[in-house]
Amino acid sequence: MMRSITTAQAMNEALAEEMRRDPAVYVVGLGLYPSAGESATSGLVDEFGELRVRSAPMSETAIAGSAVGAALVGMRPVAELHLADFAFNALDEILSKSGKWRYTHGGNDGMKLPIVFLEGIGGYVAGASEHSQSPLALYWHFPGLKIAVPATPYDAKGLLKTAVRDDNPVMFFTHKLGAPGPVPDDEYVVPFGEAVVRRPGADVTVVATSYMVVLSMEAAANLADQGVDVEVIDPRTLEPLDIETIVASVVKTGRLVVVDEDTERCGVGAEIGAQVMERAFTALRAPVGRVANPNLPVPYSPPLEQAVLPSITSIETAILATLTN
Amino acid sequence: MTLTAVEKQALYIAMVRSRAFEEAAGALAASGDIPASWLSGIGQEGTLGAIVQLRADDYLTITHRGAYGFIGRGSDPRRLLAELLGKKAGYCKGKGGRHIADLEHGILGKSGTVGGHAPLAIGVGTAIQNWGGDQVVLSLFGEGTSNRGTTHASMNTAAVWQLPVVWVCENNGYVGNVPASVYTATPDIADMAASYGMPGEVVDGNDALAVHDAARRAIVRARSGSGPSLLELKTYRIRPFAESATDVRDPAEAVAWRDRDPVAGLRDRLLESGELTLADAEAVTAAAREEMAAAAAYARESPFPDPAAAFEDLYA
Repeated sequence: MMRSITTAQAMNEALAEEMRRDPAVYVVGLGLYPSAGESATSGLVDEFGELRVRSAPMSETAIAGSAVGAALVGMRPVAELHLADFAFNALDEILSKSGKWRYTHGGNDGMKLPIVFLEGIGGYVAGASEHSQSPLALYWHFPGLKIAVPATPYDAKGLLKTAVRDDNPVMFFTHKLGAPGPVPDDEYVVPFGEAVVRRPGADVTVVATSYMVVLSMEAAANLADQGVDVEVIDPRTLEPLDIETIVASVVKTGRLVVVDEDTERCGVGAEIGAQVMERAFTALRAPVGRVANPNLPVPYSPPLEQAVLPSITSIETAILATLTN
Repeated sequence: MTLTAVEKQALYIAMVRSRAFEEAAGALAASGDIPASWLSGIGQEGTLGAIVQLRADDYLTITHRGAYGFIGRGSDPRRLLAELLGKKAGYCKGKGGRHIADLEHGILGKSGTVGGHAPLAIGVGTAIQNWGGDQVVLSLFGEGTSNRGTTHASMNTAAVWQLPVVWVCENNGYVGNVPASVYTATPDIADMAASYGMPGEVVDGNDALAVHDAARRAIVRARSGSGPSLLELKTYRIRPFAESATDVRDPAEAVAWRDRDPVAGLRDRLLESGELTLADAEAVTAAAREEMAAAAAYARESPFPDPAAAFEDLYA
């Protein structure tokens, strides 16, 4: 049976199921209870108690860093950092203490760091520059992390269960926006490194993650009315990246547009574009298009925000540009 | 509770072995066998008074300085020196250098940032508390590291959660050549404990027996579930910040502190009390030097890793 639930509800189910399955799993974050409103951690304290749902002091350093220490001695922490913007306070803990720790120490004595860092991303909420960021490329740049970017409640639940079971640090990004979607009653997981074709098409390949999938699907629907057949691919995880599915699509369409809410420079579009050119240069019939934030802080006022962040219109324009080349 | 003669002898042996390791590592740095530098812990071995009383299942986080943490926990000097030389047989297969983990002995790894360990220590405390264990985490840091937000966030969290963490500040008075008064507002780091509602105590860090006594109280408190404590060990590093660094501190200061050498100090007390004979003391030193010379030879003769190994160990 399917139900329609939100991403937060889907993540809540994933956490509860994994905490029941494995006593090493616990959640740590700021203000986890009493919780007002719906969140991924709502109500967990009632079932699992205050040791496994740890309401932390207001310190991302303590939240992320304690997760690393606990993971080193056999726990499987889920660190709720709320917004990616806030998690910048804990970059040393995330990038160096979790991402590089195993490698630096040569995997000493079977060292593992099974940690999930939950971070909310995205704009379109008048959050201004420090409550709207989507720094996927920053984390992708550094070695040792895995990166999950679900676009639907279904994937949020299935990927989060996989993330909790992974023996490596996983960055888990969910967008502030996002509609409810169908999620099965029965347990399931979504593996890392398997892209999904959200919409098949023959003319242009669009690669998008998270909320950009929603906007790209709208753009594709609009262009279908004009006779342009767009294929939309959602990688679901950036690390590992299912580049094969993307390349196969580009070989078919000859055109690629990458849509990313983050700043464009050294971004997700640059990386995916480069990988496609390395593997399928001769298949490309037009320059790779990028739709992203034009390297600006996200402004507050809605008209300004709309001028900076990707929109259905800007995605359509980029897709059409690849067809005129 | 007073230590038995055997326990005092064991502490003395650990200090002598640590000193001998430092001398061996210093020589390997001077000869260029260590491709980076070595941050000598000579003069700070009194900290072993705290370390040697940890249980096998306890945990320790270390600083960038010295090897006494490893020696005190029972790590293999051969694998430590092999790591410093970048050899495959090292604890981190040559990937870490001074950044060494020995999980088997509860040493979780070494941060490249000072203050990087404190948040890890509270995580270990979290795990102990969640599992219902009675282990403790001993977390070392320097007085310079008391400046970092990680230190304060972690001390606060340990106190709020009543975690079994013993914070041990080794105050050697300097960051590089800069005296602590330039960068730290309070002369006694132990005073910071009051901000976090835990006991804080200043201890003569060069008196290993005094360190042992103070640490025992803190460890008992942590083990019983009563929460963290902060000890401040007043000490001095005899060597420069790094073996490769220039020391411009007042030489008279080092001379004065050499007179308070923690290793010689304990030896003299044990000789005086009859708990150690001069012959035993000399035998301990000779055995330690022989052990570390053999470890150095092992490290030098040990092969480098295959370059292909650079592509291993990123993910579990």
